[in-house]
Order: sequence, then C-alpha cells, then structure tokens
Amino acid sequence: MRLSAMLLWVIPAAPLASAALCLAVKNVSVAKLSTLGTALLAFAASLAVASDVTRHVGGVLLPGWIGVNALAALILVLQSFVGLTAAAYSWGYIPHLAPGDPTRQRRYFLNLNLFQASLFIVPLLLQPVLTWVAVELTTVLSIFLVSFGNTREALEAAWKYAVITIMGATVAAFGIFLLLWGLTRHHVAVQTWSALIRTAPHMPAGVVELAFVLILIGFGAKVGLVPMHTWLPDAHSQAPTPVCALLSGVEVSTVLYVILRLWPVFTAVQGFSPQSWALVVGLVSVGTAAFLLLQVHDYKRLFAFSTVEHMGMLLLCLGLGPLGALACIYQLTTHGLTKSFAFYGSGSVLLATGTRTIGDVRGLLRSAPVAAGALFVGALAIAGAPPFAVFLSELTIFRAAATTQDYLVLALLLVFLAIAFLGILRRTGGMLFGQPTHGPARLPRSMAAAMMVGIVPVVVLGVYLPLPLYHLLGMAAATLR
Amino acid sequence: MAALASLNTVVGALFLLLTFLLMVSRQIQSVLRAFVGQSLLLVLSTVLLAILHHSAELAVVALITVAAKVIVIPGVLTRTLGQELRARREIESAVNVPVSLLLMLGLTVLAFFLAAPLLGPPAARAAVNLPIGLAALLIGVYTLAIRREAVAQVLSLMAIDNGVFFAGVAITTSSAIVEAAAGLEGVMVVLVVAILTRTIAQHLGSTEVSSLRQLGEGVPR
Repeated sequence: MRLSAMLLWVIPAAPLASAALCLAVKNVSVAKLSTLGTALLAFAASLAVASDVTRHVGGVLLPGWIGVNALAALILVLQSFVGLTAAAYSWGYIPHLAPGDPTRQRRYFLNLNLFQASLFIVPLLLQPVLTWVAVELTTVLSIFLVSFGNTREALEAAWKYAVITIMGATVAAFGIFLLLWGLTRHHVAVQTWSALIRTAPHMPAGVVELAFVLILIGFGAKVGLVPMHTWLPDAHSQAPTPVCALLSGVEVSTVLYVILRLWPVFTAVQGFSPQSWALVVGLVSVGTAAFLLLQVHDYKRLFAFSTVEHMGMLLLCLGLGPLGALACIYQLTTHGLTKSFAFYGSGSVLLATGTRTIGDVRGLLRSAPVAAGALFVGALAIAGAPPFAVFLSELTIFRAAATTQDYLVLALLLVFLAIAFLGILRRTGGMLFGQPTHGPARLPRSMAAAMMVGIVPVVVLGVYLPLPLYHLLGMAAATLR
Repeated sequence: MAALASLNTVVGALFLLLTFLLMVSRQIQSVLRAFVGQSLLLVLSTVLLAILHHSAELAVVALITVAAKVIVIPGVLTRTLGQELRARREIESAVNVPVSLLLMLGLTVLAFFLAAPLLGPPAARAAVNLPIGLAALLIGVYTLAIRREAVAQVLSLMAIDNGVFFAGVAITTSSAIVEAAAGLEGVMVVLVVAILTRTIAQHLGSTEVSSLRQLGEGVPR
C-alpha cells in the first residue's frame, strides 16, 4: 500500500486522537497543545496526499469505501489549513470567551476536534450514503460550538442552524436514495460515486431530475443558497470566531463538494440542463446577498452574508462551461482561505472592542491597529480588490461567462459584485477612522500568529499561482466534467 | 405474495394517515405516540418488502429501524425532555388545523403527481412506498415551517426522516454497515437536538422557539 493512501487514515485520526486527549487529561494547556499539534499533522498529511494525487498516484485506501480524487484532496488541504489557523487562533481567543472556566475551555477544544474530524471524513468516503451521514455529522458536532456563548442569541442561532440544516440533509437523503434506485434498476451493486457516474446516462431522466432538485434544495440549505440561507448569517456570526472561520471558510464548501461530486451524474442525463438551474439559483443568491449586505449592522454578519454571496457565485460557475468549472474550483479555494482570514480580523476587533455593532466602533486604527489592519485587509480581500487572491479567481469567472457568451449573467454578476464591494468597504471603512470609541487593546500573540499564517495564501495567491496548486485545481475541475 | 403486496398497501395508507395525525395533533404526548406508530409502520413495511423480495438486507434494515426509531429515539426524547413532553399545553401553530389539512391533502396529491412518471412497470415494488414517502416528506417540511414549539419541531424532523426511509426501503438497499451508520447517526441527531432544546427551555423558561427572534437586520442593537 502506498504511503499517501496510508496517510488518509491519519487525517481524521489526528483530531480524533486530540479529542480523546481533551477528554482524558483535565488540563487546558494539554488540550490546546494537542489540538495545535494534531492540526499541524493533519495539514502535513493532506499536503502529502494532495501532492501524490497530482502525480496520479495513491488515493485509494479501501476500494469502494475510502479514497480521494483531486477534488477531495483539494478540500482536505483547505480544511486542514483553516483547521490549523483556527487551532492557533483558539489558543488565545477561547480563554477570553470563558474566562476562569477551564472545564468549558476544554469542552470547546473537544468539540472543535470532533467537528474537525467530521469535516475531514466527508471528502474521504467513496459512497454517497456514507458521505451523507458524514455531512449530518458535521452539523451534529458543530451545534454545540455555535451555541457555545450560551446567550439567547447564540441559542437562537444554534436552533435555526440545527433545524434547517438537518431538514435539508433529510431532503437530500431522498435525492440520494433516488439516485441509488437508478443503480438498482440496472443491477449495479456497488454504490460509489464512480458507479453512479458510469450508470447515469442509462438512468431514467425523471428520476435524476427529481433527485437533482431534492439534493439542490437539501444540501443547498446547508450551503446557504437563497432562499434557504436564513440561518447562515445567524450561525456564522454567533459562533466563536475560530468556529466561524471553519463554518464559513470550509464547512459550506465541504457540503458543496457533495453537489460537485454528483455534478457529472446530473449533466449526463439527456434533455436535462442542471446548468440553467445553477445559473438562476446562483444569481439569485449573489443578488440577494449583495442587497442584504447593505443593511447589515453587525460586522460579523457582514462576512456571513458575503459567504452566501460567494456560494451563489460557486454554483453559478457550474453553468458556465469548462472554464466555469475551473473558476468554481479556483473561487472555492480562494474564498475558503480569504473568508477564514476575514473572520480572524473581525474576531480581533470583537476582542478589542467587545461589540459587534458597526456603528459603535470608530477610530480603530488608533486604538487597535493590528485588529484594524486585519479587518480592513480581510474586507478588501473578500470583496475582491486586487492584489488579493479572490480578485484573480473572480476574473476567471468573468472570463468563463464571456467565453460561453452569457453576457446578461456577466453584467448582472458585475453589478451585484460592485454593490457587495461597496457595501463591505463602506461598512468596515467607517470603523477605522475618527475619534477612537474604545481604549487601546493588545492581541494575544497566538491570535496574531494565526493571522500571520492565514494572510500568506491570501496575498501570495493574489500575485502568483504555484504550479502544484495549479495542477491540483485543473485536475479537480476535470472531475466536474 | 399478492396478499403481502396488498397488505403493504394497507400499511402505506395507515402510514400516511398517521403522518397527518402527527402533523396536526395539538398535544405533545399524542405527537410522540403518532411518531412511534409511524415508525412501527415503517418497520412493518420493511419486513413485508423483505419477505416479498427475499432480501436479507431489508430484514437487517428492519431490525436497525426497530432499535433506533421505536426504542432508542423515543427513549432519548423521554429521558432528556421528560418535563417538556409531559407539559399539558397546546402546540401553537401559525396556520389553523382545517387549512393545514387542506394544504397537506394538496401536498399528498402533488407527491403522487411527482412520483407517477417515475413508476414504470419494472418499478412496481416502489409503487406504494415512493409517493407516500414523498408525501410524508412534503407534509413534514410544511409542518416544520408552521410549528412554533421546539419539541414538536424535533418530532416533525424525525417524521420527515421516516418518510424518506419509507420510500428508501422500497427503492434501494445498502450494506448493513451503511444502514447501521445511518441509524446511529439518527440517534445522535436526536440526542444533540434534544439537549439543545433542554438548554433553550432552561434559558428561556419555555420551548416556544418562535419567540427567538433577536437576530436579524432590524434596528441596530
């Protein structure tokens, strides 16, 4: 067995081991150290797996059960990178959330590790039903992270998150059963992604169409597509900041991964165009989120709505031909890296000021320069300003729309993105200048370190795309065809 | 064999009836009883299909369903939410019962309408279960939207799940490991959501989740 295939075990086992340690040893420092150590290990293992996948080797650990393709490897790298920065950020951040309560802090790290493990499991599984179970698991294991604050607002956010996303997953399960029915009808016993893709052209169109609609609604609810997005700004803003980074940066993409994995199944059916669904639902999400962004009074919600906007954009890309597929994968990558950084910036501001309300914060550049800088760079980067990573990936989307001559889509997208850009920058810009409303504040060193690491890909990918990553993106995009 | 198939039709009709009851009952106790009854009918249909198609896999599914949905999940709910379940208050709903019943009838017709084109001659084994499962799904989602009470919402979620599996057992079977994973996961969902409900009840003094409306884009806080 190849080394990289063996490493597939290590990736989810690392956070699980750390979770066991959090349970066994009643010491917060041990919990922090093991979380950070195993996060580093999982990141290294994901990089090794991804590098092997780009060289067309390795990838399957247990045929028919566990294995990765290029898309899954890319998701693993994103998950483990954000997991690493989130672990480092939590180190200094969580003691401020639960001061003088080591038991609660330890419970946080336990839940964080379990959630991280459930995220890793999703791209590793080769059977859609098991992947569905893993997606449900990500919800179940993150509910208590969302409600961690135990305030009325946090409980409200956790409740909406639980009910809407669990309902969504159940609806999606119906869709997956319908697809498996297509397999049963052709006496295919293996229920893997590849079996589905092979059999799809022979399935009855009606079955696949109904399955597509149910899966789009069901998983769309968990991805945050309009009109099932209502829970997302609540959950993604009330959770502790490192959890927000994981939820907004990688969890939504992890669920979208399931739709992407099934995409070749949907497109294989004669006389059915999932592309037009993707264009319409995607544009509606981008547009709605752009206008809602203008009304936000809470800077963490601002970035949460930006997630709705980006998820809409990712779906829209699927309707834009082969270059669109590449744009989708590219944008998924840059969004995950940038959004997590933007949340780290907003969390630092929250720590420095103690308020989430945009209007209550002024003069941040003078009172807390590091937090202010991180917030503004995060806002600029996620809004799509050059020279950051999202700018380049959005350019690819525009090019894809121009190539397929969807000029109306392109025009609407440009208008919506411009509105979102202005909305994000106007809201955050006002917080930086003027008479400081809050006293000077210093950030814990671990948080500053997490942000230093987090900003590297945001800046580097804005000017240069390393060759191995370029290959990985290309191969991942090829799995969508 | 034909007798078994027609028995399955009766089970399907009862399943649909209990789904209606589950969704309009105003007392939490009776909603819970309807859920257990609905789960039992799901098991019965699975057993009938297992005999009809000589499927050992379906027999395993039936066993897992009994364990998870008839025994463990109601047990978990009673243990974690004992007080809330015994509370003798009426479940508030945004739409009144007659209107809801009418809408649910409409959703049932829609489900049969959606499922009909999928049911060719080779799909006879799914003819009863697929439309009824789809109807339970649609009705459940509708009820989830109009109920204002946390415990009732949890039970609606579980009823939707029953609907999905009612259709699922007729159209596909997976290996025992996969089925067991799905069953275990269902139990975990209920456990976590029940604990969250209890926390909400402790903090708010009630499980009226409709009173949770702090978050939004209204006035700046």
